[in-house]
Amino acid sequence: MSLMNRPYFRTRIAENTRLSPSACKIVFERPEGFADAFPGQFISIRVSEVTVPLLRRPFGIMDLSSTGISALIKVIGPGSSILAAKRAGEEVEIAGPLGGVPFDRPGGEGVVFVAGGTGLGPVIFCARSWKRENISCKTHLFIGAQTKEELLDGLYRDDFSFIYSATIDGSAGYKGNIVELLEKEIDKGGIPSELLYSCGPKAMVRALVDRTGSKFKNHYTSLESVMGCSLGACRGCTVPAIEDGKKVMRSVCLEGTVFNSEAIDWEEWK
Amino acid sequence: MGGVEVTDNKDIRLNIGRSVFENPVFLASGPAGYGLEYINYIDMRKLGGVVTKTISFEPRAGNPGVRLQETPSGLLNSIGLENVGAELFFREKMALLASAGIKLVISLAAEDWDDYRRLIGYVAERDNIEIVELNLSCPNVERGGMAVGTDPDLLGKYVRLAKELLPETDILAKLTPNVRDIGGLALAAEEAGADGITAINTIVGMDIDLSSSKPVFKRVRAGLSGPAIRPVALDAVWKISRTVKIPVIGVGGISSVDDALKFFMAGAAGIQIGTAIFYDPGLPERIIERLETGGIPSRIEYLTGKTERIEDGGKAGDNSGAGCREQG
Ligand SMILES: Cc1cc2nc3c(=O)[nH]c(=O)nc-3n(C[C@H](O)[C@H](O)[C@H](O)COP(=O)(O)OP(=O)(O)OC[C@H]3O[C@@H](n4cnc5c(N)ncnc54)[C@H](O)[C@@H]3O)c2cc1C
Ligand SMILES: Cc1cc2nc3c(=O)[nH]c(=O)nc-3n(C[C@H](O)[C@H](O)[C@H](O)COP(=O)(O)O)c2cc1C
Repeated sequence: MSLMNRPYFRTRIAENTRLSPSACKIVFERPEGFADAFPGQFISIRVSEVTVPLLRRPFGIMDLSSTGISALIKVIGPGSSILAAKRAGEEVEIAGPLGGVPFDRPGGEGVVFVAGGTGLGPVIFCARSWKRENISCKTHLFIGAQTKEELLDGLYRDDFSFIYSATIDGSAGYKGNIVELLEKEIDKGGIPSELLYSCGPKAMVRALVDRTGSKFKNHYTSLESVMGCSLGACRGCTVPAIEDGKKVMRSVCLEGTVFNSEAIDWEEWK
Repeated sequence: MGGVEVTDNKDIRLNIGRSVFENPVFLASGPAGYGLEYINYIDMRKLGGVVTKTISFEPRAGNPGVRLQETPSGLLNSIGLENVGAELFFREKMALLASAGIKLVISLAAEDWDDYRRLIGYVAERDNIEIVELNLSCPNVERGGMAVGTDPDLLGKYVRLAKELLPETDILAKLTPNVRDIGGLALAAEEAGADGITAINTIVGMDIDLSSSKPVFKRVRAGLSGPAIRPVALDAVWKISRTVKIPVIGVGGISSVDDALKFFMAGAAGIQIGTAIFYDPGLPERIIERLETGGIPSRIEYLTGKTERIEDGGKAGDNSGAGCREQG
């Protein structure tokens, strides 16, 4: 049976590079028919041919060329571990590009990105795509990690106009979390206040909403949630939102991944 | 699958009541939504049919909080029957599905008897509803759902009303495994006039989040699906198909072509695929190809020793599921 012409592919790993104890960059051969993608979109990967782990795992697209699709993989559990251990040449099944709402191209003076943990890949894709499209606005990356090693700074050094980093252990950059650093830099001045794009753990995004929400005109965030179908069918990955004053459930896979942070019902989403 | 005996009959069509399906392979209610989102992934026209996400009379927002949690070879879900409601479904989705050439089985559920009457009454006013599946077995809702599916008298009453108000429509009754005697429930549905039985819905389960010391799901208990429940589903099909004469549609954990063959051998007339399409959307078509080339495996007829007792109305079954009254 042929799955050709369907957004579901059997492809091969072209490269797998270990970047730190907990992260690797995987480049997949771009299968024929894999559509052009936008920042904030993702691929869903079947990491194992057996039924443990059962579900495919979603990973944001970090870059896309005519021959390759790359993703940044943080190793946090069984699925990501299996993926990180795969070698060049191994076959995997992927679906994509998925995600109905990507990050918009920015206008204006500049955009502030805040990335933590698993959220770095999509943010890198933003910076790279817009550079290729000659969008002139300045990009400010705020990146947080546990240690210097986990900042992975070699990966994105040339992609952003300005980079501000924070580590929890203080081994590089500001000692503390990335939201504190952003607050401090806003107080100092020089940070554009138009647009904030965030991607990372829920706790980080929540802290941004609570502590820097009023400092930006708009805050868009790419969310994560456990996914079943990743196509908008099963309603498994929904987050509570408020639209026109009404409480609704929105799927991260199709109605996101990117949401206006004001639309999310943060009180409900604990 | 090498040694499986097959019938020489290559006609793999399935009849349920007056409905005829080109083959006996369906998408189960829920995982594929209304079917539309999967159109680029699965060639829906090749399927026997698609069972829609369960439709209720009023739209439902579904459950708050975490809705999915993986388990070893399984999946716990607490979607809570999120759906667009009967009006929007019949006004918009039906036409889209029909124009895509999808053969539909419409899944229906209600919160209580009045809500159920209203829903069935509404369906009765629509034209060309060939077949419905009564979801009398969802563990993820406060009211209705499983409560009806665990009481043979109540189940019979629900099926009878559907037969009465929908005389032109074939009726499948979908059963929960969270009961002591699933054979007895199937029999109650058959006696009330059901044209077929679908088994099983999810098995009640739960999980705990160690980081918060709280249950993962807001409603605490959720429904388990996937390969982890396959033996339970197979056993239910075995029991039910030896208790009733109407066709039994087997569902629960089918994850390979071989799994599907086992369900036919246990006595299923058709099968549904749910959770597996999340990781292997090509599976339903592979199963159909296998049936087209090899025919449908014969039901195993010989019975020995202990299993023979299953013949007596499923009463010997010891499917000691969770006590049903505890649900919702
Ligand atoms: C839209 C989206 C984009 C993502 N992009 C990236 C990325 O670019 N890089 C990256 O490293 N990670 C990314 N993630 C997170 C990544 O999907 C999880 O880290 C991965 O699924 C964990 O699986 P595991 O088996 O290793 O860990 P597990 O121990 O199974 O799970 C750890 C945590 O991962 C999440 N998770 C588990 N299963 C799923 C699932 N089926 N769908 C979604 N989340 C799940 C849950 O929050 C869980 O608590 C993204 C997630 C989403 C939803
Ligand atoms: C995400 C999800 C949603 C479901 N929604 C419904 C539903 O709306 N109505 C219903 O009758 N069954 C529903 N089910 C149950 C399935 O139809 C099926 O009975 C069960 O999952 C076992 O089959 P499987 O192991 O192949 O998934 C749902 C299952 C899952 C995983």
